Amino acid sequence: MSIPGLGYIAPAPPPGSAAAAAALAETTTIKLEAFWEYRFEVPASTTLTVRLVSGTAEKDGTELAPNTPYVFTRIKSKINTWQTCELEITSPSPDGYHAYVSKPATPDQTSLVSYLNLHMKLEAARAQVQRSIEAAGENNISAAGMGPRVLVCGPANSGKTTLVRTLTAWATRMGSQPMAINTDPTHGMLSLPGTLSAAVFATIMDITTEWGGTPSSGPTAIPVKLPLSYLYGLRSPEENPKLYRALISRLAAATTSRLAEDPDVRKSGMVIDTGDLSVTNPTGYEALAHVVSEFSVNFVVSLGSERITADLTRRFAGQKTTLGEEIVVMGLERSGGAVERDAAFMQSVTEAVIKEYFFGDVRRNLSPHTQQVPFDAVTIWKVVEDPTTASSDDDFYDPAASETSLEKAEPSLAMSSCILAVVYAHVHDDPDTVRDANVMGYVWVAGVDEAKRKLKLTAPVPTRLGDRPMVFGNYPEPVIGLTG
Amino acid sequence: MASYQESEHFAEDFREALEDLQVNNRYDIQNLTMIARENTEHALAIAQTLQNHIKRVASHKKLPSLYVLDSIIKNVGTPYTLFFGKRLFETYMDAYASVDMPTRRKMDEMLKTWKEPIPGSIDTRPVFPPDVTRPIENALIKARTSAMAAQQQHYRNEQQLLGRGKPMPQQPPVPYRNTPTPPNVRPSSQASGYPGNHSNGAGPFGPPPQAPGQYHQHQNISMPTRSTPQPSASMPAFQPPYPGGFGMPQPGISVDALNNDIQQLIAASKAEFARNPHDPSIQTRLKALLDLQSILQTQNLPQDQLVLIKNRIAELAVTIRAIPAQTPTPVPIAPAVAVAPPLQLLRQCRRSSATPQVSTPQPPPATMAIRSPPPQRVELPKPAAPAPSDALSLVEMLRKAGMIPPPSTGPSNGSTPIPNHMPPMPSLPFPLPRPVSGPPTVENMTSDITSTASSLKQFRPHLVPLLFESLGTQCTQCGRRFKNDAEGRKKKTAHMDWHFKVNQRIAEADKAGQNRGWLVDEHDWVGTRETIDVIGGIPTAQAAATQGGSVAKLPKMQYIPVPDDPVLLNSVCPICQEKFKQVYLDEEWVWEDALEVGDRIYHASCHREATGGSSTVAAVKYGGGGRGTPEPVLGKRKAEVSLFHSPIHLSSPERKHTPFCFI
Repeated sequence: MSIPGLGYIAPAPPPGSAAAAAALAETTTIKLEAFWEYRFEVPASTTLTVRLVSGTAEKDGTELAPNTPYVFTRIKSKINTWQTCELEITSPSPDGYHAYVSKPATPDQTSLVSYLNLHMKLEAARAQVQRSIEAAGENNISAAGMGPRVLVCGPANSGKTTLVRTLTAWATRMGSQPMAINTDPTHGMLSLPGTLSAAVFATIMDITTEWGGTPSSGPTAIPVKLPLSYLYGLRSPEENPKLYRALISRLAAATTSRLAEDPDVRKSGMVIDTGDLSVTNPTGYEALAHVVSEFSVNFVVSLGSERITADLTRRFAGQKTTLGEEIVVMGLERSGGAVERDAAFMQSVTEAVIKEYFFGDVRRNLSPHTQQVPFDAVTIWKVVEDPTTASSDDDFYDPAASETSLEKAEPSLAMSSCILAVVYAHVHDDPDTVRDANVMGYVWVAGVDEAKRKLKLTAPVPTRLGDRPMVFGNYPEPVIGLTG
Repeated sequence: MASYQESEHFAEDFREALEDLQVNNRYDIQNLTMIARENTEHALAIAQTLQNHIKRVASHKKLPSLYVLDSIIKNVGTPYTLFFGKRLFETYMDAYASVDMPTRRKMDEMLKTWKEPIPGSIDTRPVFPPDVTRPIENALIKARTSAMAAQQQHYRNEQQLLGRGKPMPQQPPVPYRNTPTPPNVRPSSQASGYPGNHSNGAGPFGPPPQAPGQYHQHQNISMPTRSTPQPSASMPAFQPPYPGGFGMPQPGISVDALNNDIQQLIAASKAEFARNPHDPSIQTRLKALLDLQSILQTQNLPQDQLVLIKNRIAELAVTIRAIPAQTPTPVPIAPAVAVAPPLQLLRQCRRSSATPQVSTPQPPPATMAIRSPPPQRVELPKPAAPAPSDALSLVEMLRKAGMIPPPSTGPSNGSTPIPNHMPPMPSLPFPLPRPVSGPPTVENMTSDITSTASSLKQFRPHLVPLLFESLGTQCTQCGRRFKNDAEGRKKKTAHMDWHFKVNQRIAEADKAGQNRGWLVDEHDWVGTRETIDVIGGIPTAQAAATQGGSVAKLPKMQYIPVPDDPVLLNSVCPICQEKFKQVYLDEEWVWEDALEVGDRIYHASCHREATGGSSTVAAVKYGGGGRGTPEPVLGKRKAEVSLFHSPIHLSSPERKHTPFCFI
């Protein structure tokens, strides 16, 4: 079955995929004692295949299956063991990646111990809620308690996302269905960067990627997670605090509704990832406080900065969530393995994620669809930057508020290579409705013909575009040569 | 004699009065003592109430309550001495196990005064008879000894599990001897302070004073026993004579018999090891048994340690026998020994630190797969320790290895509240963890974790298996674990089916093109329920029923794969002359609402209308039904129900969802 349009462009096959290269690949076996970590940094140019030969090992909380090859690329991560394990490492270019084994002498030299204690504490809270849900009955679960809402914050490169992923994976492993929430616009959990999203993790995670991919049409060996995402379109909450807060409120309302209806998720609670926090930036604290209050966070985990821990302890002292629980601030050490991921690396990750969205990856080729659309047939909005600090008592739902975060954008050459989000709204909806609508998918502006007033759009699905408004912002940045 | 009911009421009042006792307040304690003195007819009820109270209250309130007990004993005496004496071991040890070091020091001091006559009293008998206090002392000495041994071992291994970072001075096992504490050791200048008050002449076993309330400032003087050397830990004192309460079995446990038993256990463990060569817990146990054997053969152990070992061996034999039922392990039957009090303390250690068991019902031992380690085993996180120097530390080691199951009933089972706000336990020199009450659920096992950095950093080896062995065995394809009970096996079967089908479809899907789907809208997302390892659309109907939503039966969507034949590809429905709508149903391109009849392809709905609704077709018409708004039915249906497996199955029947078929 051929699909009209562009057809897929196969991603450049990694050097290791060819059989000939595999023959040259070097295989080493390493043995990890309890608490040791195998830390690796693999650039996009090569791959690293890890196979668990014996023992038990996990990556960010998800256990590796025995004797199953996991192929990593464009990643800085680690595999750790609580017991002992033997790993077989294969890479086509032994000099192409960087890896070492961290060997803590005692358990308390690894931050994972405190993460595990935290997780078990959360599990205990979940068990308690489970009982109260059972007592309240299926139809009356809103009367029961709510599982823990954990927020992880900290400075840049402190391992926030890794901890969020670890806590989520551990909870999933123990039979919970935690909701992972990303409030950091620079990340795109199960979605493209520039969005705020949430998803329930009832099944095992794909450990070779950050969170796994966006749902697609075909079968996948790792069950797909279905995200709910909202386009923020800017890099940091400070660039438009008002919009950020409005979207956080919107996301919180949707996720809280899910928790109100779904007993499994309600019991499991939320694990919330946040953007980089800096002690010199009061706006970050404001945004964080908004997230804490909107999601009724009752555990604030501060990673890697005692100063931030102290600030937050002071800030949330004596405060209660909407459910009347005390807000507990916990300071944890960052992982010794947390490394800096510079702008170039992040940019390359972002581009890879976008490419993967349209074209798939080595494991699965996707076929997007490109079409010509007249300028007049599409409605496009642009997120505006509005760095005025919103005060905490602003009411974002005030219908009288005239200011809006979106403005109509005429298709132009400037839009070339931009990523537009298609949202669940109608073309005639007012900007606030469009702003609050969740993302349906993304299209890439493959070309703009101003003379003919036509846009060339690449969409993931062969579908008629134009009956839904599209929104874009400055972030993610235009991806030039997506198809090339 | 007071009636039972009166006593009940009185006990209730007394309990309420006790509740108000928050701190060590002399006046409150005096008042409570007075009440006890004036109501000796309710002595039994009072004694029980007080002891229950001590057991139940948070650890920081235990000491004041114990002081009430002390005051009553010293100022009133009979009949309280008798009533408290019965459960004193339990009361004292329970409290001791749960309090912090400074409080323990105070309790040590208090215990010391119980062994002595009341200062200034004519009565020369000690406060409590020796057969009450000695078991307590013995238990404390034993616990300290094992703690010391564990500590030394701990140094050897550089495993500073408890005393992280802090230098641990080598302290004498019985420290703080000279610390003055309330009971009876205040200098006379503080004569008015509570503990110094003793009613004149009211000896512990004497009659209640004739004039209650007359407290004489009768302070004492010489405390000759104050510097009585305490037994040192390295040489357990208080061996014989054993008091009656200690429950010493028939003397003369044969070392040979023990050796024999151990030999049999070793054989059984070796057999188990041969079956599960990768189970570290079995290795650990085997090693411990071998060590024990060598100790028994090379050292002369005192009888009381032999008793301990024998009891452990008996328990261990039961454990081993319970797991591989087919192992012919001759089990030595332990003599019917009344539980020796010191063992209780050890049990408390054991209960609190070992045996991770999840809250779900344990699989019956018989169903445990042989390959998987039984869940109550804790793996020793460190390399096996060198042969311990005495049998007690070996018991400690066995305990750490999780080999000794927790007693099914314990003195404090289910009744000791776990204070969450307790500061982390000081690590010196008696690392007796707080007892965990109730069954070993996640909640009980984590009750000692507080949100302080030090508590969070402390490694708790018993938590690790909760993420591994306790969850069962791994799926070889994705690493997910499944329990070995009936439910787990059922889940695993469904899971493996799922893998099989998905793998099959992945192979098929490689031939056809795939594409990214649209995400669902907010409303549908809220209504989505995750499904795990479910194949087919059946859950939808189920979900409709359970969600109490529409009970209308959902029609099965009819579809056929898009034909390969280019002629057929362009065919139209012979009835409505329209083309077929092509959608993706998870794995392949299909024509939805299509029906092949003979050589021709019809819209299923057209065909149904034309043929008057054959019963073979689920003929319920429905539109896209977005949020209850009917959409015009034009014979082309949206793919509401995927018949194939959908990893995340959207099961909200009243809501439109169009994740994969937006065309």
